[in-house]
Amino acid sequence: MNCATARLLIGAAPASAGGQLEQHLAECAECARFRQEMQALDGDIHRALQSPPQLAARPRRAPPLLWRPLALAASVLLAMTLVGVWLLRPTDTLARELVTHVQAEPGSWLSHEQLNGAGITQALRGAGVGFDVTSDQITYAHSCWFRGHYVPHLVLQTDKGPVTVILLRHEQVRAPQSFREDGMQGVIVPAEHGSIALLSQHDGGLEQLAQRMREDVRWLPEAR
Amino acid sequence: MSGRLPGADADTSRLFEALRPDLLRFAHWLARDRSIAEDIVQEALLRAWRSREALKDAGAARAWLLTIVRREHARMYERKRLELVPLDEVAETHAGAKYAEPEGELFALRHAIMKLPLEYREPLVLQVLGGFSTEEIARELDLSPSAVLTRLFRARNKLRVLCGMAAAPDVSGNEELP
Repeated sequence: MNCATARLLIGAAPASAGGQLEQHLAECAECARFRQEMQALDGDIHRALQSPPQLAARPRRAPPLLWRPLALAASVLLAMTLVGVWLLRPTDTLARELVTHVQAEPGSWLSHEQLNGAGITQALRGAGVGFDVTSDQITYAHSCWFRGHYVPHLVLQTDKGPVTVILLRHEQVRAPQSFREDGMQGVIVPAEHGSIALLSQHDGGLEQLAQRMREDVRWLPEAR
Repeated sequence: MSGRLPGADADTSRLFEALRPDLLRFAHWLARDRSIAEDIVQEALLRAWRSREALKDAGAARAWLLTIVRREHARMYERKRLELVPLDEVAETHAGAKYAEPEGELFALRHAIMKLPLEYREPLVLQVLGGFSTEEIARELDLSPSAVLTRLFRARNKLRVLCGMAAAPDVSGNEELP
């Protein structure tokens, strides 16, 4: 193997090895040094690729300082609630998966950023859903992958605290279901198309809110 | 879905969800735009879900999904001719960064990778992030293995220069790049 071939292989894949390459490197100090340089560069490339720069990310508005201690308090309250409350296993796999999903996005209940209509529309896009709730109540709106579909995942601020609303176009329930799991309580109610799930960490009020959601959500004819 | 075991769909859904951050990172490097990357991944996951019976081995899911994401990006790229992201924004958003610090160096390298033309960036990301072999990249990009080696060599050589190192002599021949 000559230097040109060795450097091509090293430059293309610094971790590459092989009998002929290793033999060449044992005899050529310059190519050996080139591999060391390229392996060091490759380590940096690997680390750099783990986190793309936020080139086009929409700048997130920092929450007002006032909210930070409240957010911290909410975190502490959340932790205390999770430790302190009783556990009742849900009878339904759907309920358990909903709880798991909400637990995987703990920041959703801490957001106090009021979203504009475009942000909410973005979260509903592709799910075939329209929503008439006033946007100043919605502090979190994402489109989440759940059971093989993208579903709108919203958080509404209520007098009693944040409530997660997940619109499940592809999940049918025959009658309203209530559940408790890991310090959360929730309801799943049938809707015009599919069902609507609401989860919160406070007692009461979900049934009434669910009824309101059933009236406010518009199920569009075509879901993607 | 005939022939699928009970719970298989739930398992597949969880698998897709677990791999989503990887897919999003991969798409972001290809598209150079977070929101476009999210659209690409969303479309790719829907395609993958519709074809999920083709996935026989969960261990192969990551490579399979990355391939679908890459093809979805290629489709979108062809369809819309993605707008170029103004890379100067990076310097603006990172104004005051001290490049002598480790994080600053990584930032400069990220910037340099983003500046690579797609024909260099794509095989590099496939190799380093995706873990694809030269032969697999060649099949995916419809290139010869030697052409892939050439592009990978040139990609790293460009990064050497962009990071202030001396360029290695171009030993990659005269492959005609598109």
